[in-house]
Amino acid sequence: MSTIMTGGEPFFYPAGGEVGCLLSHGFTGAPEEMRSMGEYLATQGITTLGVRLFGHATQPADMNRARKQDWLASVEDGYHMLANQVSKIVMVGLSTGGALSMIMARDFPVSGVAVMSTPPRFPDERVRQLRPLVPLISKVWRFAAQNGESDWRDKEAEQANVHYPVFPVRATAELNDLLDEMRDTLDQVTVPALLIYSKGDGTIPPDSGQAMYDGLGSTDKELLWLTESGHNIPMDASRQQAFEATSTFIHRIAA
Amino acid sequence: MSQIQSRGEPFLYQGDTGTGVLLIHGWTSAPQDMVDLGKHLAGQGHSVLGVRLPGHATRPADLNRIRWRDWMATVEDGYSLLDSTCENVVVMGLSLGGALALLLAASRPVAGVVAMATPYEVPPRPDILWLRYLLPALRPISAILRTFPKPPINDYKDQQAYRDHVSYSVFPVRSITEVVKLLQLLREQLPLLRVPVLLMHAVEDRGVSPENARSIYSQVGSDEKELIWIENSGHTITLEPARRQVYELAANFIEQVREKTR
Repeated sequence: MSTIMTGGEPFFYPAGGEVGCLLSHGFTGAPEEMRSMGEYLATQGITTLGVRLFGHATQPADMNRARKQDWLASVEDGYHMLANQVSKIVMVGLSTGGALSMIMARDFPVSGVAVMSTPPRFPDERVRQLRPLVPLISKVWRFAAQNGESDWRDKEAEQANVHYPVFPVRATAELNDLLDEMRDTLDQVTVPALLIYSKGDGTIPPDSGQAMYDGLGSTDKELLWLTESGHNIPMDASRQQAFEATSTFIHRIAA
Repeated sequence: MSQIQSRGEPFLYQGDTGTGVLLIHGWTSAPQDMVDLGKHLAGQGHSVLGVRLPGHATRPADLNRIRWRDWMATVEDGYSLLDSTCENVVVMGLSLGGALALLLAASRPVAGVVAMATPYEVPPRPDILWLRYLLPALRPISAILRTFPKPPINDYKDQQAYRDHVSYSVFPVRSITEVVKLLQLLREQLPLLRVPVLLMHAVEDRGVSPENARSIYSQVGSDEKELIWIENSGHTITLEPARRQVYELAANFIEQVREKTR
């Protein structure tokens, strides 16, 4: 009897130093997406904690009850646990986890923020236009198929990826609102920022990276483009490059 | 803007004894229930994690959206976080947290369970037996009456602890049905438990009557089980004048469990 699916557990790798990194996974994903990165950063002397976002890695129906404040609260929980260990915290997130990281960087005294594949708005135009109706629609249409062509370069990693096989429809409205809030207040984020995006991302529009870069209030900001990766940067073929860039960034701003 | 209210934050202290202690607060309450107990146990060198249950220490309306599965998942999260750095994990909970602690022992190999002021059933005390007849109608009722002012029951011996206590001032009505389900599950699982269990309950608990502790004690399947009655305390035994005694008993229990795993 377990509520969390196998591979859905959060992780904590203490490294003993003064710098910590809080890792947040993506929409319908699981902490597993961030685990390899967390392990790598821990070998570089950075204490890492990977949270499980509310409603994730249990069953898809749980996610339809989630509101954006629940996801933010999950990340805040991780922040407070990590703050008991280290004096400097850098936020790192994939996609939705990146949006949560940005909002944390706006509201909490973090040292920096690194996001991967975070879109400035909900990628599917239908959700944006029908946003007010989504709660009603989701009463009858609870789950949407996750179809569309795979953008993974590393097919083995794709097989190992822990995630829901469907999109919980009600939750898409919350993600839409979360991304709106993030984008509208992006200029209030002023800490050093690293943005990592893939040329081959099949999930978000190709101008996402530049739009995020332009909107950020930070003066110390860097946009890194990967060529051998799909949307899931910390698991796909270019992951090592992303790990090293993130480690270099954290050491530069927080060491 | 922060989602979690001040003093509602979870906490994590790293120790070096190899034992991790997972602490779970009560319904409508916050990790603050457990923080002094946590500091005491961290002072003994243990790793300590006090989780925040979903829907708690934010806004009461959030709690109405939460199902018992979400609480269980958060407790499992806490177990995983401790398990990765500790050799053994002891789980402790207060009130609803005690029920979650006992249930965690049914799904994870915890070394021992301390359940404090834990309810066995809803209603948890004789003066609100009428609630029993309301339970089947609670879901439709909750669509109209979303929250209910907390009755002015204050069984605290330490009035400063009462004033400092972090909790919602209302009961989210829909959430009561989740407590009902969780305790149903608890009653099913209790006979299957085999880990050492320590129960603590205040003799004068007016929130969850002492009868609940007797029922849990008689139903727990473990050979190693003990029920200790706490004097000079109301329901929240971790914050009351008797708290030092409670912390000592919890620390001693950990030592007993550690002796066994050695």
